[in-house]
Amino acid sequence: MNDRLIEILTSSFFEILIQGLKVTIPLTIISFAIALVIALLVAIVQVANIKVAKQVARFYVWIIRGTPLIVQLFIVFFGLPSLGIVIDAFPSAIIVFSINTGAYASETIRAAIEAVPNSQFEAGYCVGMNYVQIMYRIILPQAMRTAFPPLSNSLIGLVKDTSLAASITVVDMFLVAQRVAAQTYETFALYMEVALVYLIFCTVLTKLQTVMEKRLRMD
Amino acid sequence: MLEIKGLKKKFDDLEVLKGIDLSVKKGDVISILGSSGSGKTTLLRCLNFLTMADEGEMIFDDVHYDLARMSKKEIFDIRKKTAFVFQNYALFINKTALENVTEGLIVARKMDKKEAITLAKEALDRVGLSDRYDYYPRQLSGGQQQRVAIARAMVYRPEIIYFDEPTSSLDPELIGEVLSVMRDLAQSGMTMIVVTHEMNFAKNVSSKVIFMEGGKIVEEGTAKEIFEEAKEERTRRFLASYYDRI
Ligand SMILES: Nc1ncnc2c1ncn2[C@@H]1O[C@H](COP(=O)(O)OP(=O)(O)OP(=O)(O)O)[C@@H](O)[C@H]1O
Ligand SMILES: [Mg+2]
Repeated sequence: MNDRLIEILTSSFFEILIQGLKVTIPLTIISFAIALVIALLVAIVQVANIKVAKQVARFYVWIIRGTPLIVQLFIVFFGLPSLGIVIDAFPSAIIVFSINTGAYASETIRAAIEAVPNSQFEAGYCVGMNYVQIMYRIILPQAMRTAFPPLSNSLIGLVKDTSLAASITVVDMFLVAQRVAAQTYETFALYMEVALVYLIFCTVLTKLQTVMEKRLRMD
Repeated sequence: MLEIKGLKKKFDDLEVLKGIDLSVKKGDVISILGSSGSGKTTLLRCLNFLTMADEGEMIFDDVHYDLARMSKKEIFDIRKKTAFVFQNYALFINKTALENVTEGLIVARKMDKKEAITLAKEALDRVGLSDRYDYYPRQLSGGQQQRVAIARAMVYRPEIIYFDEPTSSLDPELIGEVLSVMRDLAQSGMTMIVVTHEMNFAKNVSSKVIFMEGGKIVEEGTAKEIFEEAKEERTRRFLASYYDRI
């Protein structure tokens, strides 16, 4: 490797990393937090069989899972302005990633709730608890343990999916890498480098997942 | 204290309970015997509304209830006076033994936490688990889990406890510890309805024995009347099949 390339890579590495910390990570965390809230609500209205809400929930999951993420991003950022609704790039990305991840996560959480044996409900009723108390104190804690590994997968998936935000002008680490690559013509090196930074983020998350899973075990 | 008249239950076209009449006095220990599929579990579940009966009447502490038209509030009120012990224990698996017992006291009955813990420890001590407060269900043997479940049931001082084959999931060497807890409970005056295949328990502990078949009560009487002087051929045949097995 020549000196020029080394210099390009070192200076861009920090630029990419900083952009990752400033944009990719917040984008991931905020979107995922909102997604979890959506997912819990969407899962619970289905399990609790709340009439109209359940239909709305199924419709939402159907639409979101049946359309590509990048198209959803384009609809919100490039499409809505033609209807007079203009949303900045970063909030657009947050909206789309939350709604998208929420749909998938709701299915994970719903399945986890349904995997809790019905006898846990019955035991709760027999000690005088009501539906909400049982759901909140008995069923959800168990379901969240089951849902934790697949939800971690969704989170790791989301870290990588945020690179699609570059396509709606969010200046995330992928867009920074694209810019440096365009200026220096070192495309291979730059895209490898940004891949490495994603890998680092995901590796940290995977380690965290392992630690958390150990803690969540009930024995 | 508790009276049931004409309780019926169908699952689709299958008539599982064909008109059950039952009368329970305070301090009664009623054993329900019967072959598999005779409707014993369904009966207990209907009494606690885990399954809803199609018709029938319940009189609990002089209040009349129409089993076909129970309001949520009525179900709630009745469940406050009753407790249920399941065949598969059904402990809250995300809670320790102690939390299993305090959970309903604190959450459903709004009892002060300290008071609940004191009561729960007393109950666990009574079933011989004073050294297992902080164990999770999966760290306990089946017999220990069932004893936690019994502690959880009796801590509310319910008027009546329903047991659905409390020892049927247990290894033979663990059955004794659960039965002895139940015997103590019976001797302390607790009203109990016990679906069981433990003939010695039925014979020695119950004040009344009921034999069910095909969704009906075929015969009922004292332990002596059922085990030694059964009038019905079907009862005798059922009991004989037990002794043959041993
Ligand atoms: N939820 C249900 N849906 C449909 N049929 C049911 C349901 N629960 C029970 N049954 C049927 O009702 C009948 C009585 O069942 P139940 O469990 O009350 O019998 P049991 O006397 O408790 O038998 P066992 O000794 O095997 O526990 C059986 O034929 C069973 O298949
Ligand atoms: Mg049964």
